[in-house]
Amino acid sequence: MEPRIGVFVCHCGTNIAGVVDVNRVVEAAARWPDVVHAVEYKFMCSDPGQGLVKDAIVKHDLSRVVVAACSPRMHEPTFRKACAMAGLNPYLFEMANIREHCSWVHEDKEAATLKAIDIVRAAVAKARLLEPLQTRFVPVTQKVLVVGGGVAGIQAALDIANAGTKVVMVERAQSIGGHMAQLDKTFPTLDCSACILTPKMVQVAQHPNIELMTYSEVESVDGFVGNFTVKIRRKARYVDEAVCTACGVCIEKCPKKVPSEFDEGMMPRKAIYRSFPQAVPGRPVIDKESCTYFKNGKCKICEIFCEPKAIRWDDQDQVVEEKVGAILVATGMGLIDPHGLSQWGYGRYPNVLTGLEFERLNNATGPTGGRIVLKDGSTPKSVAILHCIGSRDRNHKEYCSRVCCMYALKFAHLIKEKTHATVYNFYIDMRCFGKGYEEFYNRLLHEGVKFVRGKAAFVTDQAANDDEKGKLVVSAESTTLGEVLRVPVDMVILASAVAPQKDAEAVARQFGMGLSPDGFFMEKHPKLEPFSTATDGVFLAGACQSPKDIPDTVAHGAAAASTALSLISRGTVEVESATAEVLTDFCSGCKVCQDVCPYGAISFHEDTKLAEVNASVCKGCGTCVATCPSGAIVGRHFNDRQILAQIDAAFLWE
Amino acid sequence: MSHYATPMMEVPDMIVESGGRTLDLCFQCGTCSGTCPWNLVRDFRVRDILTRAQLGLEGYEGEDLWMCATCNACVDRCPQGVEIVDLVRTIRMLIAETGAAPKTLRAVLGSVQSNGNPWSGDRNARMAWVKDQPVRTFDGTHEYAYFTCCTQAYDPRNAKVVRAAVRVLDAGGVSYGFVGGSEACCGDAVRKTGAETNFQNLAAHNVGLLNGLGVKHLLVPSPHCLNTFRKEYPELGGKWQVTHVVELLADLVMSGRLALKNAVPLKTIYHDPCYLGRNNGIYDAPRDVLRAVPGLELMEFGHTREEAVCCGGGGGRLWMETPVEERFAVLKLREAQARGADAVVTACPYCISMFEDAKTALGLDQLQVLDVVEVVAAAL
Amino acid sequence: MSNAFEPRIVVLCCNWCTYAGADLAGTSRMKYAPNVRLVRVMCSGRIDPAFVLRAFQDGADGVLIAGCHPGDCHYINGNLKTMRRYPALETMVQQFGIEPHRLRLEWISAAEGDRFVEVVNEMTEQVRALGPLAWKQRSAVADLSGSPHAG
Repeated sequence: MEPRIGVFVCHCGTNIAGVVDVNRVVEAAARWPDVVHAVEYKFMCSDPGQGLVKDAIVKHDLSRVVVAACSPRMHEPTFRKACAMAGLNPYLFEMANIREHCSWVHEDKEAATLKAIDIVRAAVAKARLLEPLQTRFVPVTQKVLVVGGGVAGIQAALDIANAGTKVVMVERAQSIGGHMAQLDKTFPTLDCSACILTPKMVQVAQHPNIELMTYSEVESVDGFVGNFTVKIRRKARYVDEAVCTACGVCIEKCPKKVPSEFDEGMMPRKAIYRSFPQAVPGRPVIDKESCTYFKNGKCKICEIFCEPKAIRWDDQDQVVEEKVGAILVATGMGLIDPHGLSQWGYGRYPNVLTGLEFERLNNATGPTGGRIVLKDGSTPKSVAILHCIGSRDRNHKEYCSRVCCMYALKFAHLIKEKTHATVYNFYIDMRCFGKGYEEFYNRLLHEGVKFVRGKAAFVTDQAANDDEKGKLVVSAESTTLGEVLRVPVDMVILASAVAPQKDAEAVARQFGMGLSPDGFFMEKHPKLEPFSTATDGVFLAGACQSPKDIPDTVAHGAAAASTALSLISRGTVEVESATAEVLTDFCSGCKVCQDVCPYGAISFHEDTKLAEVNASVCKGCGTCVATCPSGAIVGRHFNDRQILAQIDAAFLWE
Repeated sequence: MSHYATPMMEVPDMIVESGGRTLDLCFQCGTCSGTCPWNLVRDFRVRDILTRAQLGLEGYEGEDLWMCATCNACVDRCPQGVEIVDLVRTIRMLIAETGAAPKTLRAVLGSVQSNGNPWSGDRNARMAWVKDQPVRTFDGTHEYAYFTCCTQAYDPRNAKVVRAAVRVLDAGGVSYGFVGGSEACCGDAVRKTGAETNFQNLAAHNVGLLNGLGVKHLLVPSPHCLNTFRKEYPELGGKWQVTHVVELLADLVMSGRLALKNAVPLKTIYHDPCYLGRNNGIYDAPRDVLRAVPGLELMEFGHTREEAVCCGGGGGRLWMETPVEERFAVLKLREAQARGADAVVTACPYCISMFEDAKTALGLDQLQVLDVVEVVAAAL
Repeated sequence: MSNAFEPRIVVLCCNWCTYAGADLAGTSRMKYAPNVRLVRVMCSGRIDPAFVLRAFQDGADGVLIAGCHPGDCHYINGNLKTMRRYPALETMVQQFGIEPHRLRLEWISAAEGDRFVEVVNEMTEQVRALGPLAWKQRSAVADLSGSPHAG
């Protein structure tokens, strides 16, 4: 029986119709063989648009549907569902991308229209040869892996665990808490970061549904949506968690000091340590790299003082395996390497600090107990906060880091409050867009903080006059005045850019995610699915996707959690139907396919001397299909006939 | 009379069409103004020119336009990648077409047109600096062709540098010959003043000459020649390898082919020429050479390397009047003196000229101005 | 439209990287030559040399094969199979008398909309400079010259 094809051309408002003459596309399509129905509509993805497809399937007895609209990566699932609802096998649907690949990238209307016709013709050619496939489901493992124990991961883990689903949380550092734990106050409400975060950290540790693995890293990820197998390396802690009472005597007695990562290297920690006093878990670990005993076989002072006898010198890294249905990546952000910021004096002048260094300086648990002082211990009389250092700068990071304007305001407030120093902000634009943010900016104006609309060009200690002697001098143009200022100050704080984590690329690879051009993890859709990734079942939360402040991070974490939960509670998941299949009549038993399959999905039967594809393991990449010298493997939904038909129809060749 | 200003979009359109494609990227952060060394001595706001040009408001074409010494410090720091020096050049070009270029520049450009050099020097006297020193002329078999900078050829002070170069290169056993009297100005400063046609004529002449001679590898004493030959000539047909003398010296000294035996007991302070440092990233070669000179002490200015302050001689400023108190070279000599230096050492004919002028103006007889090449010659 | 030669280029690309990269070029409203038609497969490892030959046979003036960067394959390493297959394909195509610039292999990630644009524009110009391939006619001429009726 000849196929009966329906072609639906979308205007997408003016997105397509503004460039492509959709009526000409419809007229062309109507003339092609087997096309029995061709129409255009303003928004095909809308409810009435989908209704058009459903009605036409019934009314015109369509056996194939082609929708010419946006990218299949956007709306293929939408229209497949619509077809299924009208009783048509969803694999008998084909999408023609005339928006991303045509109307949005061309200006010449004639050329774009001709190209759109070609694209639809190729889709129709493929549709003609489509075959129905069986939709297959497998059960979803009722557990979620959360990678990263910052506030995004914490929020997500608690939401999931509170819904009754098991969570495994993996954190690289000794404690959970992330960057938020390093902060003293949070903008714009100025509530104490520890006061709002530590209770959540404790909840994570005590939650019956959460298994917390700190000082651990994900080593490998296998499997697919609903059925991931994850290997986690639990680094040797050399402290028995079951025995240790977290009394902290060992830390007190340990003679070895190294710079504390948590304190941005501004104060030391011991070789046996917890990241900070409120660390969760509170039980310390021994950092093997710094420990004197591991270095030269002598010391063991911690062991001598440990009353419960919790030190285990023979502890080993352990690799544990977890089966999970979904993975939530919440690995957070890094910071730009400030050593590339030498024109603003970082690394050259001791009283030039990064934002996070100032956070620690200002923190009650930090190197000065929260006193804002210069390196010589004196109180600054004037402080300059330089905005956009490394952000909005093509020499460094092109994007806006999104948190700096607000933390700069917070810093200005805290400096005023604690030191009464004069505070200058040098900014390009004040971006105070959140709830209560603009109000906070206004509050700072009331507090007498000075704002100069101009980016700091450089910081120098080369005095041009007596007033500048012994000071750091900030040079910037007040662009509102058109005057170049030189402002002598005692302390300079760089609102330094947020950056992707240094190992973002490797982590992206590990979880099958992509990186956006800015180096952060790429979401599936920037607006509608900012918490999903290209890999089904792998979700994103927090600043690993883009710079975010705490409210946005928490919201993102909760959103990712609910998306992961909807997968978990669905209970089953549809798996690839477009798998490979061996045509036994043609198989010569050469085993080449077995070698090229990245998933080991092809087995060879010694008795029949034939290859066989395990459909539940096959991901449908088609590499075996292209490799088979006998043409004995068919790639469902992308078979040779379908692809060749598409190539034949790619252009009007004559 | 109203004080409202009305944008004239023909202005930015014309600038963009004439090659100033990055004009519209400026988002008025003021980094350029805050960076520009002119503010050390006078009011000058690069951003003001750019904003006015973006909107086509009066003032972008004013006298300030001719102040820029093209030192590139603002371009290096611009967060938006605005090619400010190119924009200044483009706007100058458009203004020059209307005949509104400064008078002093017109004389210089006239000389370039008729003599092939900006110094009103006789075209036939380009090799007069040789005096009685024997020099080789490039014959196609030499590894390097030495392209003399006009300023070395015609300015008596800089002629001493090229004569020192001959002694040094000969001592190092370098295979080279001088391009000689037919060469014309590289055209860097000419182009930067907006005289695009003049530049194209000079470039066409030099490309024809050097390609005709079979030059493969150019040796240049001026960072301005270096920058122009390296970055601007290739698209005009001049595709040679280009090396600055100081790079070759570093190579000779480091590899031991040039032995520096004599002590030169000077406290020197090195000035980074903008076109050598910021524009071509050559910071270490001159310092390596100076450190290899026995008995010599090397000091640094407060702002150095990427952040070095210009001598004030680029972009045609060499030929324009600057009041003594507004000369960067004056500021730098004062700083050198305050730091206790005996000699300011550099590697650019323009810098040498600017510093010598400043030295005379300040009457600083005891402070020497030297090229790296001269220091090396003294150490042979 | 003028009668000037407009190259026809078939792009065989993977779903996850290059197709998505082309999508990104679209969402970023970048502009490029309208001379390409994309044929999507799930992985560049699926691209059979026969597809390339078929495109040339149909009348394509150029064929671009594009997939994920090595190491970034959605299917672990399908693109490495493509990479290994490519030199042989290149040789074969050249033996058929097709100029090297008409066939190209590129790795373009989902984040590289700009790279997609660059490659398409560059290849369009290269192929434009080469002129029409008209492989069918060329091979037809070749056939004729070998037949007894020739000359």
